[in-house]
Amino acid sequence: MTEILPFLKDLISAPGLSGYEDPAANIIADKWRPLVHEISRGTLGSLQGLRRGTGKEPRPSVMIATHMDAIGLMVTGITDGFLRITRVGGVDVRVLPGTPVNVFATGAGASGTGATGAVTSAGEANVRPPLPGVVAQPSAQLLPDEARDGPVALEHLFIDTGLLPQKVSELVRVGDLVSFAQPPAELSGETLTGHSLDNRASVAALTVCLEELQTRPHVWDVWAVATSQEEVGAIGAAGSAYKLRPTIAIVVDVTFAKGPGASDWSTSPLGKGPTIVIGPNIHPALHKSMKELADKLEIPYTLEYTPSHSGTDGWATQVAAEGIPTLVIGLPLRYMHTAVELVALKDIQRTGRLLAEFIARLGPDYMDKIVWDK
Amino acid sequence: MKQLIQKLTETFSPSGFESAIREVIKQEVQPLADEVRVDALGNLIVRKGAKAKNGKRIMLAAHMDEIGLMVSHIDENGFIRFSNIGGIRTGGLLSGRVQFTNGTQGLIGVERDLFAAKSPTFSQYYIDVGATSAKNCPVKIGDVAAFKRPFLELGQRLVAKSMDDRIGCAVLIEALRALKTSPHELYFVFTTQEEVGPRGAATSAFGIDPEIGLAVDVTLTGDTPKSKYMAISLGKGPAVKVKDTGMLSDQHIVEWMCSTAEKKRIPYQREVLDGGSTDAMAIQMTRSGVLAGCLSVPCRYVHTPSEMVDYEDVQNSVKLLVALISAPLNL
Repeated sequence: MTEILPFLKDLISAPGLSGYEDPAANIIADKWRPLVHEISRGTLGSLQGLRRGTGKEPRPSVMIATHMDAIGLMVTGITDGFLRITRVGGVDVRVLPGTPVNVFATGAGASGTGATGAVTSAGEANVRPPLPGVVAQPSAQLLPDEARDGPVALEHLFIDTGLLPQKVSELVRVGDLVSFAQPPAELSGETLTGHSLDNRASVAALTVCLEELQTRPHVWDVWAVATSQEEVGAIGAAGSAYKLRPTIAIVVDVTFAKGPGASDWSTSPLGKGPTIVIGPNIHPALHKSMKELADKLEIPYTLEYTPSHSGTDGWATQVAAEGIPTLVIGLPLRYMHTAVELVALKDIQRTGRLLAEFIARLGPDYMDKIVWDK
Repeated sequence: MKQLIQKLTETFSPSGFESAIREVIKQEVQPLADEVRVDALGNLIVRKGAKAKNGKRIMLAAHMDEIGLMVSHIDENGFIRFSNIGGIRTGGLLSGRVQFTNGTQGLIGVERDLFAAKSPTFSQYYIDVGATSAKNCPVKIGDVAAFKRPFLELGQRLVAKSMDDRIGCAVLIEALRALKTSPHELYFVFTTQEEVGPRGAATSAFGIDPEIGLAVDVTLTGDTPKSKYMAISLGKGPAVKVKDTGMLSDQHIVEWMCSTAEKKRIPYQREVLDGGSTDAMAIQMTRSGVLAGCLSVPCRYVHTPSEMVDYEDVQNSVKLLVALISAPLNL
C-alpha cells in the first residue's frame, strides 16, 4: 500500500518552484524512465513521458497532466541583511511566520564564479547547499498600528538567514528563490504531511498509474506529463497540450479535503478516494465514463462540483488549440498552500489505479461513442 | 532621441485606437526595415534580417497604445461622463486636460462631494469640453481621449504622458537604427491593446511564432517618498525582469540579459515587480510556449499624466537591447 511513499517523500523534499522545476523534473524523470518509451521536456519545462499503445497508427492519445511545480517565495530586496520577499504562487501568508526555508543564493559571493554569478536556477544552485533561513515577523510593538492584530501582511515579513548584512549582500540577489524547508512527516492513519504535496501527490498517483500499466496492455498512447508553472497560471500545461494535441486530457490536481472549519458543500472527505469533477471545465461524457468505471470497480470516489474555473491545468488544456475534451480528478488535501499540507496515501493509490483502469479500457472507437448530449 | 520621445509621447492613441501612433512609428521604421506589415489587430510588425545558421527567430515587443478615457454619456448641458481604457488612477484626474482623437480638448471636473472622507469614484468625474448642450458637444458616445500633457525635460529626467510604453517604442526604434549586423531573424513589433490585457502581443506572437520573445516596457520604482518597497531606482540602469504579477521570465533569458549587461559594462537592476505585467506574458503562452523575458525601463508615476524616466536609463536600454540582438546566443 505504501510503496510510493519513499518516492513522494524524496519528491516533496526537492525545491522545483514554478518556472524552476528542474530539481523535481530530474527526480520524476529518473522514476519514469523505465516506465515509458520516450521522455522529453517541453519548451517551458514540462516533463513529457510517452507510453505507446498497442493500437494501429495513427493512435489516439490521452494526456494525464499533473503539475510538478511548487509554490514558494522570491527575494525582492535586502534591508539591513534581512530578505524582503514576495510569493511565487498562492502561498498562504497567514501561516508563513516561523516556517523554515532554503534560500537559493546566486550572488557572486555564493557561486565563487566571479561577478556574473552564472548560476541562476534553483536546479543548478541546488548543487551548492542553499542558505537555511526562517520566515520572521517583527514583534507586535514594532509593527504599524493597523498590522498588530491578526495575521501579518507579507510586506512586514522577512527572512532571517543569521548572516551579517554585508555577507547577505554578497550572497543574495533580487530574484533569488526561496523554498519551504519543512521536512515531510508521516502521521498516523497512513497520512503524510509536508510542503508541495500540491501537486506532487498527484505526480505520485500518475506514477502508480504508469506502474500498473506495465502489466496492462492499452490501445491508446499515453502522455504522462508533469507540468510546469501551474501555480502561476497553468502555463506549462497550455504549451504541452498545444504541442502534443492529445485526443483527451485528464488533469489530476489536489482539492480541498474536509477538515476543521470546512463546509460540507465545498470540500471532499480525506481518505475516501479521489473526486471526479463535473462542471463547464469537464467534458460530460468523460465524467460519465470515469464515474461508471469507478462504480463498476468499487473504487471509492466522491463527486466534486466546479461551477467555472477548476483552478487546475484543466482550464488551460480544455481550450488549447481547437479544444481538447478534458476531465479533472481531484486528490483531497488539507491545509493547501502551506508547508504542512496533508494527504492520505490510500487516495494516491486509488487515483493511480483508477487512471490505469480507465486507460486500459480506452478502445479504438472510444471517441465515436462519447457525445455531449444523450 | 529626445525629439523622437517627444513626438511619440505627444501622439494620442489609446488602446484599440492606435492609428495615429502607428503612422508616426511607421514613418520612423520604414527606411530601416526589410518588411513592414500590419496584422488584424493593428500591430505594426517590422522584420529585420533573416535567420543565419546560428540565429534565432526573436520577437521584440513594445506596446504603442496608451491608457485613456471613453465617452459613456453626454448630459443635456454637454457634460461628458466617461469610462476608463486601461488602468487609469482616479487620483490624478481632477483638472487634468484631455484630448480626443478628433482633436477636441477638454478638462476633467468632479461632482461636489470632493471633500467627503472617501476619494471620489470614477462615476463622479466628468469632462467639460466647453459645450453647452448635448447637441453642440463635439464628441459622441464611444469617442476616446487621452491625457494632454506636454513633454518635459527636467535635467536628466524626462516627463510625459504615455511614457508607458512609448519609451519602449523609442527604445525599439533606436535599437533598429543602431543595429549593424545580427544572425537573427528579428521582429520589432509595436503592439496594440496591451493596456486592456496584452491582446496585440498575443496575436502577433502567434503569427510570428518566435523562439524567443522580449518585451520592452516600463516598470515601477521604489525610490520616491514613502513609496511601496521595490529595489528599483531611476538612474541605476535598465531592469531585467525576473518576475511580475503575470509571469516568471524564463531563467535562461534572465541569465542571458544579465551576463550581456555585465560583459558590456552596462549598469542594470534585477526586477521583481508586484503589480502589473507586460506583453511578455502573452508571448510566453503562445502556441507550445515561448522563452520570454522583459527589458524594463524604470519609470515613476506610472499610469498618471506625468510619467518620469531617466534619460541615461533609456540610452542604456538601447545599448543593452542592441547588444542582446547582435550576437549569436545559445539558450
